Amino acid sequence: MESTSQPAPAAAPSTVSANTPAEYNAASITVLEGLEAVRKRPGMYIGDTFVRGLHHLVYEVVDNSVDEALAGFATGVHVFIHVDNSITVIDDGRGIPVGPHPSVPGMDTLDVVMTKLHAGGKFENSAYKVSGGLHGVGVSCVNALSELMTVEVQRNGKVYNQTYRRGVPQGQVREVGVTEKRGTRVTFKPDTTIFEVSEYDFDTLSTRLRELAFLNAGLHITITDERSDKKHDFKFEGGITTFVEFMNKGKQAFNEKVIFFKTEKDLVSLEIAMQWNDGYDERIYTFANNINTPEGGSHLSGFKAALTRTINAYAERGQLWKDIKEQPTGDDAREGLGAVISVKLPNPQFEGQTKQKLGNSEIKGLVEQMVNEQLGQWLDENPSNAKKIVGKIGDAARARIAARKARETVRKGAFTGGGLPGKLADCRSNKPEECELFIVEGDSAGGSAKQGRESKFQAILPLRGKILNVEKARLEKMLTSNEIVTLITALGTGVRAGNDNEGYKPEDARYHRIILMTDADVDGSHIRTLLLTFFFRQMPELIEKGYIYIAQPPLYKVTLNKKDRYLKDEDARSDFLLERAAERAALELSTGELTGDALKKLLKKVTLYNKRLEKMALRKDKRVVDAIVQAANFTPEALKDAAPSVKDDEGNLVTPAQFEFDKVQAYLEERYPDIIDRMRVERRDDPQHSSKKFIIKSDVNGAFRETVLDTDFLVSAEYRELVSLRDAFQAFGPAPYTLRIGDPKKARGDGEDELKRHTAHSYQDVLALAYEEAQKGLYIQRYKGLGEMNPEQLAETTMNPATRTLLQVKVKDLIEAQDVFSKLMGDDVDRRREWIEKESVRVVNLDI
Amino acid sequence: MSSPRCPSCERPVKLPPENKTFPFCSERCRTIDLGRWLGEEFRVPTRQVEEDEDGQGLPPGAGSTPQDA
Repeated sequence: MESTSQPAPAAAPSTVSANTPAEYNAASITVLEGLEAVRKRPGMYIGDTFVRGLHHLVYEVVDNSVDEALAGFATGVHVFIHVDNSITVIDDGRGIPVGPHPSVPGMDTLDVVMTKLHAGGKFENSAYKVSGGLHGVGVSCVNALSELMTVEVQRNGKVYNQTYRRGVPQGQVREVGVTEKRGTRVTFKPDTTIFEVSEYDFDTLSTRLRELAFLNAGLHITITDERSDKKHDFKFEGGITTFVEFMNKGKQAFNEKVIFFKTEKDLVSLEIAMQWNDGYDERIYTFANNINTPEGGSHLSGFKAALTRTINAYAERGQLWKDIKEQPTGDDAREGLGAVISVKLPNPQFEGQTKQKLGNSEIKGLVEQMVNEQLGQWLDENPSNAKKIVGKIGDAARARIAARKARETVRKGAFTGGGLPGKLADCRSNKPEECELFIVEGDSAGGSAKQGRESKFQAILPLRGKILNVEKARLEKMLTSNEIVTLITALGTGVRAGNDNEGYKPEDARYHRIILMTDADVDGSHIRTLLLTFFFRQMPELIEKGYIYIAQPPLYKVTLNKKDRYLKDEDARSDFLLERAAERAALELSTGELTGDALKKLLKKVTLYNKRLEKMALRKDKRVVDAIVQAANFTPEALKDAAPSVKDDEGNLVTPAQFEFDKVQAYLEERYPDIIDRMRVERRDDPQHSSKKFIIKSDVNGAFRETVLDTDFLVSAEYRELVSLRDAFQAFGPAPYTLRIGDPKKARGDGEDELKRHTAHSYQDVLALAYEEAQKGLYIQRYKGLGEMNPEQLAETTMNPATRTLLQVKVKDLIEAQDVFSKLMGDDVDRRREWIEKESVRVVNLDI
Repeated sequence: MSSPRCPSCERPVKLPPENKTFPFCSERCRTIDLGRWLGEEFRVPTRQVEEDEDGQGLPPGAGSTPQDA
């Protein structure tokens, strides 16, 4: 009748009595009544009769074996899934006691353990100090829910065996053999009349068994699936430390070594392992007496409270978060944290619908106190790791605050119904392809831009950098958060808010030309840098699409005969002046005259020569380089050790290098006499090229500068360019030169225009004279601010597509400029100041 | 050019297109950066004084030396 699908009826005892009439007594009836309750309401004991309950049966049996290990009597637990989905669990513990039970007359102890609810050693703390088996319902519960169960005990050199069907013993405990081993082997087949499912899942069981192996350092657990020949073998000497390493596998850890501590207090023992990784999720596994408590409970809340408090206190002491406006929260502290908390306590109480939460309220305070002490100590003893962790938590807080601010910003934009900022003077067109937005710094320039624009397609957004007096005599400029919000709203793209990118739509940009129009001075260039950096970091898509431009307002205004001309930059100015000089001057040469375009071409070459020389001036003495280029004719061959000697002017034999260098020295004496007294020349070997080299040390503004004349220099592109320029203008003959100003015919005719002749000793002097002449009668104004132009001028020179020039910003430029940005704007004030002082020349020229 | 570093955490970063969050190492670091913009932490040195920009001329007393005042 046991094989029927009905639960075993009350008649079951008679089956037992039929086999063993003498055993039939009141005790047996109580037992059966107990197990009958389990069969009637299995959910109350094992959660449910689906997948979870089915697997729970295995955990119940395994937990008994693990308890043996916890108590120090077993070293291995081996689980087998058989082909018919029955399960065997084997351990090498002491074996369940066999023999007459002291308080249940007529029953074997094994029988009692297997068939009586709430039986077992776990209720007396002496046998098992702490226990993992579920609340003592234990193996008898599994027995009640199995259509067949066999238990085999190896103990005291003997083997005992008993079989049950649905919890009912099929005969007495029998001694079946002898052995040298010990342990317990339980095989059961879940009752298909109770469970809605019967398939065991290897991975589910394996995961739980792996957990158990982690939680019990050194315990050997295996699981073998005979249905598929899968087998896992777990043994972790590192215990939960290894567990955390396993969880963080493939991630970058902040504390290289897992933090681990183990303490004991008032019969409660606590083990915690933790490590922060560069991920964002928090994974804390909590266990009470080896039982997973996915819903947490008092141990988890104690841990959380202590973690936040200890870390905050540590950071505060070291002033590590002083820039963060609000205290990092527990969520910040646990971001990227992988941790295992394992508490072992007498009498655990499990709460909640599924009994997955530890209820013992006294545990919270205990855990909290232990973590405070132990973690605090760890932080003090591991300052470099502690700093990394605290830094990471600070970043989490910053990111959280930033993401919230960004969301608020986006929401604020949405609240105004997508309304545009009041400061924006929008254009009439709503076709982004033809719309332009000028971002102008300064209200006065903004006013001019508004008046000068073509309002059909040009919009103006005036922004104002706010000035801060950071320290005495040090001012800084920044964009207020309002200005940034205004900018984002005007662009219409929204902005990223944390991991929620939905608020950001670069394709919604309202303008396909976003033009930065700032003053042509250092401050203007800084504000431009600030804006470009913002786009580069927060809206790089706009740069990739080629939407970002830099306006090119003129640097100079030239007034001649009450007429204005605008000159974009230094080059344009020099071009203009040369043009004018060439109109009025002539260079008298033995072969004729050089005038007009030919003269201009020559002067341009001299200008270029000067510019190249100027470029070298940072590393070399430009006067010396000038002399080397203009006076001599060095070749790499002339420097060779083996170069044949030549005769100098007095007929002495000298090396060709010396021959050339004498000319350099003569040139310097004539052109720059003050350099000679303090100049030292060293001749050294240049073994790499089997050559000689000259090192000329000279005084440049009070400091010695070394100009090296060697093979490398002579083959360099910059030297070769200088030589080719020199050749071009030296073709017109040697010094001195005569520059004639004014038209000789006119001068002779009416004497109104005075004719002047200047003598120059070099082409550089010719150029200087020409410039001087060209500037006569001109008024050249250097524009510093856009506001100095009136609206018409601004429109004509900078805004009107027909006459302006725009510079398109490319990502590549910005990658290269990144280093400059971070140094210019970094929040490390000292480092930045140091950098600015050192690189002030470059900051002024920061021009991208 | 040295390899670029994340503007937020200063760790080396990979270049696009491999790195979708360039110039940052992660979306997280980009968000931190946005927070700094909104928190008005990025500043550049300037020589201007605010009064000047407002077009209100020199601050009071600027025309005379402190000794005269």
